[in-house]
Amino acid sequence: MSQKYYLLRNREIPNIDQMAVYQSHGGYEALKKALNEYKPEELVDLVKKSGLRGRGGAGFPTGMKWGFLPNDGRKRYLVVNSDEAEPGTYKDREIIEQNPHQLIEGIIISSYATKAREAYIYCRGEFLFGAEQLQRAVAEAYAAGYLGENILGSGFSVDLKVYRGAGAYICGEESALLESLEGRRGNPRLKPPFPAVAGLYGGPTVVNNVETITNVPAIVTYGADWYTSMGTAKSPGLKIFSVSGRVVRPDNYEIPLATPLRTLIDDYAGGVLPGRRIKAVIPGGSSVPLLLPDKLDTPLDYESVLQAGSMLGSGGCIVLDDSVCIVGATARLVKFYREESCGKCTPCREGTYWMTDVLERIEHGLGTEEDLDTLMDIADNIGGKCFCPLGDASLGVLVSAMKFFRDEFEAHVREHACPMGAKLYDTVNH
Amino acid sequence: MIRLTIDGQEVTVPEGTMIVDAAARLGIDVPVYCYHQALGPLGACRMCLVQVEKMPKLVTGCTTAVTEGMVVHTQGEAVEKGRKGVLEFLLINHPLDCPVCDKGGECYLQDYTFEYGPGRGRFQEPKIQKVKNGPINDLVLIDQERCVLCQRCVRFMGEYVGEPHLLLEGRGVETVVTTVEHQPATSQFTGNVIDLCPVGALLSAPYYHKGRPWNIERHSTICPHCPVGCSSLATTRESHIIRMEGRPVPDRDWGWLCDRGRFGYDFGYHPERITDSWVQQKTTSAAQATRDVAEWMQRTLTQYGSGSIGFVLGGHFTAEEAHLLRRFAHDVAHTDHIAMVRDVKGYLPLSLNGTFEDVAQADAVIFVGVDPYEAVPVVHLKLRDRLHHFPQLQVMGVGPRRLTRETMPGQDYLIDAEDEAIFFAKALASRLPNDSRVQALIASIQDYSLPVSDADLEVFGQKLLDAQHLTLLWDGENSDMATVLSVLADVRENPTAVLPTFGPVNWRGYEQAGIDPQYAAVEDLLTKVRNGDIHMLVLWGADLLREFPDRKLAQQALEKADYVVSAQVVPPLDMPYIDALLPVATWGEVEGTYVNMEGRLSIGAAGVQPPGQARPTRSYVVNWARLFRQEWQDDAWDVFDNAEGDVLIRADAAVASEITLTRPATKPADGVWTVIQGAWVVENGLPSEILEPRETEFVGRISPDDAARLQIGAEGGYVQAQTSEGSVLIAVRPDPAIMEHTLWIPRGSRHDWAQHLEGVLTLMRPEEVPSV
Amino acid sequence: MKPEWKEWAREFKEQYPGANSALMPLLHRIQAHEGWLSDETIHDVATLFDLPESYVESVASFYSLFYRHKVGKNVVHVCVGLSCALAGSDHLMEKLEHHLGIKEGQTTADGEYTLLEAECLAACNAAPVAQVNLRYFERVDLERPEETLLGTSSEKEVTP
Ligand SMILES: Cc1cc2nc3c(=O)[nH]c(=O)nc-3n(C[C@H](O)[C@H](O)[C@H](O)COP(=O)(O)O)c2cc1C
Ligand code: SF4
Ligand code: FES
Repeated sequence: MSQKYYLLRNREIPNIDQMAVYQSHGGYEALKKALNEYKPEELVDLVKKSGLRGRGGAGFPTGMKWGFLPNDGRKRYLVVNSDEAEPGTYKDREIIEQNPHQLIEGIIISSYATKAREAYIYCRGEFLFGAEQLQRAVAEAYAAGYLGENILGSGFSVDLKVYRGAGAYICGEESALLESLEGRRGNPRLKPPFPAVAGLYGGPTVVNNVETITNVPAIVTYGADWYTSMGTAKSPGLKIFSVSGRVVRPDNYEIPLATPLRTLIDDYAGGVLPGRRIKAVIPGGSSVPLLLPDKLDTPLDYESVLQAGSMLGSGGCIVLDDSVCIVGATARLVKFYREESCGKCTPCREGTYWMTDVLERIEHGLGTEEDLDTLMDIADNIGGKCFCPLGDASLGVLVSAMKFFRDEFEAHVREHACPMGAKLYDTVNH
Repeated sequence: MIRLTIDGQEVTVPEGTMIVDAAARLGIDVPVYCYHQALGPLGACRMCLVQVEKMPKLVTGCTTAVTEGMVVHTQGEAVEKGRKGVLEFLLINHPLDCPVCDKGGECYLQDYTFEYGPGRGRFQEPKIQKVKNGPINDLVLIDQERCVLCQRCVRFMGEYVGEPHLLLEGRGVETVVTTVEHQPATSQFTGNVIDLCPVGALLSAPYYHKGRPWNIERHSTICPHCPVGCSSLATTRESHIIRMEGRPVPDRDWGWLCDRGRFGYDFGYHPERITDSWVQQKTTSAAQATRDVAEWMQRTLTQYGSGSIGFVLGGHFTAEEAHLLRRFAHDVAHTDHIAMVRDVKGYLPLSLNGTFEDVAQADAVIFVGVDPYEAVPVVHLKLRDRLHHFPQLQVMGVGPRRLTRETMPGQDYLIDAEDEAIFFAKALASRLPNDSRVQALIASIQDYSLPVSDADLEVFGQKLLDAQHLTLLWDGENSDMATVLSVLADVRENPTAVLPTFGPVNWRGYEQAGIDPQYAAVEDLLTKVRNGDIHMLVLWGADLLREFPDRKLAQQALEKADYVVSAQVVPPLDMPYIDALLPVATWGEVEGTYVNMEGRLSIGAAGVQPPGQARPTRSYVVNWARLFRQEWQDDAWDVFDNAEGDVLIRADAAVASEITLTRPATKPADGVWTVIQGAWVVENGLPSEILEPRETEFVGRISPDDAARLQIGAEGGYVQAQTSEGSVLIAVRPDPAIMEHTLWIPRGSRHDWAQHLEGVLTLMRPEEVPSV
Repeated sequence: MKPEWKEWAREFKEQYPGANSALMPLLHRIQAHEGWLSDETIHDVATLFDLPESYVESVASFYSLFYRHKVGKNVVHVCVGLSCALAGSDHLMEKLEHHLGIKEGQTTADGEYTLLEAECLAACNAAPVAQVNLRYFERVDLERPEETLLGTSSEKEVTP
C-alpha cells in the first residue's frame, strides 16, 4: 500500500534523522513559517482549528490545553512526554529514533505558541538509543540556530533538554512525570492544581505526547483545513496505530482517524495468521476494554471507539486470535499494572497484586467459581477509587474479558486447567 | 467562610477546609489513615471515601476542599462498599496478628475493620514477606508487614521535623518504610511515629509486649521533663508507668513529644531511686526519719526562734504541694524563709509571658540565649509548624553560640551572654534615639562597645520594631533582659510575647503558691544560712550543688547549717552534707497542678504508688504538723482561682520603674576559654535506663575547629581541662553551633565533672598533660 | 567517590534550573560507569547535592533501571509484555535461564550476566524483544537466543 507520510516520514526518506537530510526535505520550514507569519496566539488558534487531540491516550484537544495557561508572567514550560510504556504502543519510539527533527521542530513551534522559555523531552529510561538520537538532533538544532537565544532572529528563545527516566511506567502520567523530572519518586501529584497552573518547578506547564507535537509542523505547513479534511469533525487528522499480536505484519501505521479497525488489521497489518480467527482486539493500549470481532467495522476515532465499548487510547492495537488463552492474556496485562503500580494508594497497590495472584491461579487450573466473583468485586473496589488513572487502567481488559469470555474463565475452573495449556505461545503450533 | 451540608447537617467552615475536617466539626467521624491535619492532605490510603452530590465518583474527603453549597454523604451503600473494599485491600498483606500486637485494641485498622470491614477473608494467596520487628532505633521498632504505607511517619520525620531519617524504599507492593542505610534514626522526635502509626507497624521498644488494653490504665497527664509540660497520656500497669504517649488537645496541640519525654518516664523506678530514709548515714524507716526531722525542727525553733529554718524548693512538685510547704513553713515552722532553687538569674513577670499561640501567630521569633530544640524540644516543632504555614517567618538568635539550625534557619547574632540586654538596648536606641524609656535604658551603657556594627544594630532594631507579632524565647541567663523586654513590649505597637525556657519546670506553679521565684530570694536565703541567721535547711527537691550556680555559697551554706534535710527522688550532689535524706513521691505518684512556660495549668495524674517508703509531700507535712501538736486543716487555696480557663491571668504590663542596665565586668583576658551553659533536656538530671543507649558521655561541646585541633572525632572524646582550680578530665564533642575557644556544658548535668566548670585556661589531649 | 563525580554533579546542577532535577542524570552517569549504585554511591551522591541520604535512596529505589544490587557486566532484559509473550518471550526466558544456569533476577557466578524481566519495551512489532545493556535485539530467535544475545559482548550503556 503506497502512502504519503506526514509523521513517519522516515519511512520514505532514508536518514531523515540527520539534520541535512531533514532540511533538504523541507525540514524546519514550518518553524520559519510559524515565526514569520504567526503570532503565538494565532498558532494556538491554528491548532485549535485543526482539532488536533492529544495522542498520549486521553485525546484532550491540544489547542484548548495550550489556552489554559494563565497569563500571569510566570516562566512557562513545555514538557514532551516520551515515556511510552503502555503495552502494545510503540509509535513514539519510532518517531524519536527515526524522525527526531520533526519532533524537535514541533517542540520549538509549540514553545513559541505557548510562550514557553524552556522545554523538556522526558524520555523513557529504556529508550537509550532514542535518547541518544534526540540528544544528537537537539545538538544539531542548536548548531543550526533553531534552539537557544533569538531563534532565526525572531526574538524568540527556547532551550530544550532531553531528560532520561529510569524505568517506571507511572512516569508517563503527566504529574508523576513532572515529579520525576524534578528528581523525585514518580508518585502522581494531587490535582488541582493542574500542570497548566502549577507544573514543572511550580510554573505553568504544558505536557504533550510525542506524536501530538510531531503533528504540529505538518499542521503549520499544510494548514488546519488539510488536517480537518481527514478523520471526523470531532476526531480530525492523522494517527499512528501500533499493531501487534497475532497479525501477519505487526507495525506502525499512520492513517487518518476514522479508518475502520478492520482495514487497519486486514489491509495494513495483513490480517491474522493463516487459519486463524480474530478472537478479540485491544484497540488502544493495554488499559482499554476488549472489542469483539463484531466491532471490527468500528471507525477508529475517539467517539466511535468509545461508542463501541472501548477507547482509542494511545492507538496500541493488540490483536488476539483464537489460539490465545484470554485468561492468560488478561493475567499478563494485569501483572503489568502490579509491577508498575507506584504503591502510593491502597486499591491500586494491593488490588493489582491480588488480582494478579487470582488470575494466575485460575490460569493454572487452581481457581474456584468463587474466585470469578471475587475478581469482579476486587475490580469494583478498585474502579474509580484510586489516586490516579493507573488503577483503573488495570481493569479495562479484565472487566471486558470477564464479560465476553466468562465461559473461558469458567472452563479453567471446571477443568482445573487451562484448556489451551496455560501458554500464551505454543512453539509446536507455530 | 463556606457553608455546606454533611449527612443532612449544615456546617460553616473556613475556606480550604477538607471535607473530613468539616465533618469532624459536626462530630462525624470519617475514617482516615494517611491523613493527618498537621501533615496536610496526601490522598494515599483512600479510606476516607465519601460521596459528594453531583460528582460522578466517590471522592477522598481528605483531599477534597469544601465548596459553597456542597452536599456530602459520609454514609450510604456506595461509601460503605468503598470503605469495605479499601479495608480488605489493606488486610490482604497484613499479618492479622492482632492477638500478639501491642496496638491490638488501640488500632485504627482493627477498629475500622470491626466497624466497616469485610466479614471474612477472601484472600488466599501468600502474603508478601517483609521485615518484622526491625529497629528504627533503640526505642522504636518497625514491623513492615503490618505497615499500610500511609506515609505518616515518613512525612512527619521528613517534612514536619525536617530530619528525614525514615524513607520509602522500593515501589508498588514491595514498598517499605525503612531508615537511612538501615542505620538507627537519631532524631530526638522519632517516638512520635509510634503515635502517628494508625496500625501496629511502629512500636515502642520499651513497651514491647508489656501491656494489653485490658490490663493497662491510661492517665491524662503532662510531661515533667522540661518547661513545655507536654500534654500526654501515661500508661500504667501494676503500679508501674510503662509508656508515655502524646495527648492531642483539639485546636491547640498536636500531641507531639520528644523522645526524652516519651521514653524518660522510668526515673521513678530507676535503680538509684531513693526508697528508704537516711538519717546521719544510716537507713531508717520513713516514720522514724519524719520524727527525727520534726525533733530537729522543734529543737531549732526552741533554740533560735522563728525564722531559723529555711526551705528551698526544687524538683517536680505540684503547685498544691508547694502551697502546703509554704503554709507549713509559715504556720508550723514559723518561718517565711522559703525560696525555690534557681539556676539562672532572670525572672519574667507574668505580664510579659506569652503562650504557644504567640508562636503560632509570630512573624518574627528571637531566641535569646536558648536553642529551643535542645531546651524545650516540642517548641521547636511548634516553630516548624509555624514555618510551614508562614515561610516568611523571621528567626533570629541572640547569644554566645549559634541558636538557629538547619531545621530552623535564621540569623544569629553572636553576643556574649552578659551583653545580650545591652545588644537589645542599643538596637532599640539606634531606631528610637529620642524615646525617654530607651534613653533611660542605655544611659549607663552608652559608651560600652559591642562587637557588632552599627548597621547590624540598626537592622536588628528595625526588626524589633517592625515585627507584627514578636515572640521571644528566653533562657533567663541575662537577668537584665527582663528590663529590656518590658521596655521593648512598651515601645512596640504590636504584640510582644516572651516564653521563659528556664526551670524549675513548675516554677510558675511554685510562684502561684506564694514562693518567691527570684534568684535573689534563694541567694539571700543561702547567705543567711552561711551567716548563721538560718540554722536548719530543708531542701525539698532542690540539689544545690547541681543546680545553684554560686557553688561556693551553696557549699558554705550546706556546711554551716546545723541540720540539712533533703527530700529527693535520686541521690543529690549535696549528699555529703545531708543529715536526713527523705524519700519523696514525685510526678506520676501524686496528683496536682503544674504550670508550664505559657502559664498554663495542667493536672499531673497520680497513676502509680510511690515505691518503698517514698511518700507524698503531704504526708510529711501533715505528720510534722501533728508532731508539732497542730491540727492540720486544709485551706481553700486553689491555683485555678488565678486562671482564666486554664491560663494564668496576666496583669497589665507596667514598665519597670527602674530602667537601667548593669555594666558587665571587664572581659577576662584573651586565652581563657569562655564557658557557656545551656539547658539541654536530655541532660537535665533525671536518670533513665530506657534512654541510656541513646545517651552520650560527651556532653560538653566545642567548636569543630577546636575539636580538630584536639583530634576529637564527631562522636566525641576526652580532653584534659586546666582550670583555675586544677585539672579535670572532661568529655566533649564538636558542635558547629559553638564558637571557637568556647566550651559549652549542659546545666544540671548528671555528669559530676560538668558542674561549675569555671576559669578554664586550656584544653589538651590527655596524653599531653604534663605530669604533676 | 571518584574525583570526576564532583565535576559531573556541578555540570548537571548547572543544567537544571530547579529542584533536584540533576539527581537522576548523575545517577545514570555514575551507574553507566560503575555498573550499579552501591550504598556508598548513594551516600556520595547525597553529599554532592547536599541532599538527605534518605531522599536519594528513596528516589533511586523507585526506578527499576537503577540497580541497587550489584549486577553482571551485561544486563539482559527480556520483554515479558503481552505482545512479546504472544511471540514466545516466556520460552525465550526459559532458554536463557537454562543456558546461563540462573533464574530470572539472578547474576551468573562469573559476574558476566544478569537476567531480568522487562515490561513492554515498546517494540511489539518486533516481538520477541530483548535488551542487552539497553540495546535492542528484535525478533530474537527462540531456538538459539544465546547466539544473538550472549554471543558478542554488546555495546556498553553510555548516558547521553
Ligand atoms: C498511567 C498513565 C500512563 C501514561 N503514559 C503515557 C505515556 O507513556 N505517554 C504519553 O504521552 N502519555 C501518557 N499518559 C497520559 C499523560 O498523563 C498525559 O495525558 C499526556 O502526556 C498528555 O499529552 P497529550 O495531551 O498530547 O496526549 C499516561 C497516563 C497515565 C494515567
Ligand atoms: S493508582 Fe495509586 S498506586 Fe496506582 S499508580 Fe496511581 S497513585 Fe500509584
Ligand atoms: S485519609 Fe484520605 S486518602 Fe488517606
